[in-house]
Amino acid sequence: MFAPFFYTLRSRGVPVTPTAFLRLQKALSLGLVESLGDFYTVARSILVKSERDFDTYDRVFAEQFEGVAAETGGAVEVDDAIRALLDEWLKEPDELAKAMGLSTQELKRMSADELLNYFLERLMDQKGVHRGGRKWIGVGGIAPVGHSGSRPGGMRVGGVSRNRSAIVVALERRYRDYAQDAPLTRAQTGEALKRLRHMLPAGPKDRLNVEKTIDQTMRNAGEIEIVFDRRLADKLKVVLLIDNGGWSMDPYVETVRSLFHHAQTQFKELSIYYFHNTVRDRVWRDAQRRSHPELVDMLVRRDPETRLIVVGDASMAPEELFQVKSIVPFEDRQKMPSIDRLKQLAAAFRHAVWLNPAPDYLWDSRISIRGIRQVFPMFPLNLTGLERAVAHLTAR
Amino acid sequence: MTQNAFHRFTGASRYVLDEELAKIVNVSMALEMPLLLKGEPGTGKTMLAHAIAESLQMPLIVLNVKSSMKLVEALYQYDTLTRLNDSRFGDSTRDVSNISEYIRMGKIGQAFVADQRTVLLIDEIDKADTDFQDDMLDVLDQMQFDILEIDRTVRARHRPVVIITSNAKKDLSDPFLGRCNFHHIAFPDEEMMRHIVAVHFPDLSDDIAKAGIKAFYRLRALEGIEKKPATRELLNWLRALRADPGFRLEALADEALPYLGVLFKKSGDLERANVLANA
Repeated sequence: MFAPFFYTLRSRGVPVTPTAFLRLQKALSLGLVESLGDFYTVARSILVKSERDFDTYDRVFAEQFEGVAAETGGAVEVDDAIRALLDEWLKEPDELAKAMGLSTQELKRMSADELLNYFLERLMDQKGVHRGGRKWIGVGGIAPVGHSGSRPGGMRVGGVSRNRSAIVVALERRYRDYAQDAPLTRAQTGEALKRLRHMLPAGPKDRLNVEKTIDQTMRNAGEIEIVFDRRLADKLKVVLLIDNGGWSMDPYVETVRSLFHHAQTQFKELSIYYFHNTVRDRVWRDAQRRSHPELVDMLVRRDPETRLIVVGDASMAPEELFQVKSIVPFEDRQKMPSIDRLKQLAAAFRHAVWLNPAPDYLWDSRISIRGIRQVFPMFPLNLTGLERAVAHLTAR
Repeated sequence: MTQNAFHRFTGASRYVLDEELAKIVNVSMALEMPLLLKGEPGTGKTMLAHAIAESLQMPLIVLNVKSSMKLVEALYQYDTLTRLNDSRFGDSTRDVSNISEYIRMGKIGQAFVADQRTVLLIDEIDKADTDFQDDMLDVLDQMQFDILEIDRTVRARHRPVVIITSNAKKDLSDPFLGRCNFHHIAFPDEEMMRHIVAVHFPDLSDDIAKAGIKAFYRLRALEGIEKKPATRELLNWLRALRADPGFRLEALADEALPYLGVLFKKSGDLERANVLANA
């Protein structure tokens, strides 16, 4: 009866092993599972080995055991949409407070869930009273404006099941924040990047090697022979190229910044350069891309063992990538189309990757992305992508 | 399943357990598999092992994993230094020619040779390297290991209840995960947190607990905090509030919260929290 469940999990990318499945059968035969709720918990602990897959598990479970089609607009999904909206509005607490008829103080006191309930109540009210006319809550009135500002509330992560049906628990999707394609957190970024480091012996021989000392001493028939080693140091050089221009990168700036923040603490020799949309003749040391240019011709002369990481959405008009702008003064004119510059970089550094924050289902539909993917191996900028990119960079 | 079924785990006095977790602990015991616990620091992974030991009334043996640790250290140690000393000065009662007198059990070894069933907590496994992890699970799978020096095999007299914790610093290898039951401890929600606080401070008034927890979740939700305060910090904070004779309940509703240093351990975070919370 549970075989389809097993196969659906597998087909959705949860790495369930047959051994684990047999173990689940054993657990069932031991009489440990008395209800669907028990089954939900037990099966998850046996089958799923990472919190990143919990969300997928929840969805598959709900689907299999209640016939709820995933991704259809049920009550839960509407709820989610409202949560997302509220989250957005909370960036402008004063506006939201006014719209809801609350003081900012009261609003700050409310937890995310209280706020959601309050909002839903208001929404019910509104249905009864207003139709058309002056909406007091709606996208038109208090749509999100700014980016910064304090966000008083916040969504909780997970919860505790108490006498609720397993389906309801599963549908809550408590583990969505841990899902594979969830945005990167700083800690995760750091851990993924850390794997890039590789230690090589360097510097003076000042580390006592006990094993070898004993070995040598024994070979010398007890005459003490002390062996020293060089200490290990991180010799890895990394060049990071970041696309920080244009509105198309705006939504990803936070993620990229946290990546950048972590990269700085991870590597001894890290050079960061900026570019706009794509690399032309030069890249810049300063984020404003004004005062400290560096020619790509110079960049490619670096140690070929340097790891090159390019971060950018690779989305632009095709002519920007494939052609040289002709209506500019001669001295500013590009020497070659951008795509050739990229090829030059890829040829100079054999360990190079392109991290793309744009969701990977868009990649095939954009000509510029398709073009760049032929030059650089491209990975999505989420945890899985980052891990794959690091694996690629560390490969010999 | 033997009479172990009677050793059902229901939660100990100091640890608030949700049903889900209790179920998982019971299943892991019945399937004789190690239970791997992951979660944010401060969500009570280590505490859980203590609670399990307490409620099952078994002794707890803790192996604190260190990054440089070799598996053999966790199993046994051959104390060559004492033997050398004894052989030179000969003033001990030990028999120098008998090596087994100089073998001392490590934490896993102790759990194997104990007279009764024990709870073996392997804390922060992610600190060790992959080889350590895989080799350790081989030992725990077979419930036996060899002492090379004296060519003896140590078998577990009672299969210990194995709890392994990980701070999710590194990913564990697939074979390792395959041999463990897995649970991720999510951060408790407000309601759960009230239970936890009530267990630790039975005499704390409801108002203070409620206001304190509320303020705590508000602080956790602040943006740009690197190390979010966890349960441990909340409990310490409440302790600090209680110890302060001048503390009034209103202080929690105020914008300027007292003793933020207990909650935020990084100076950058503390500054941010002060600015944001009091904005």
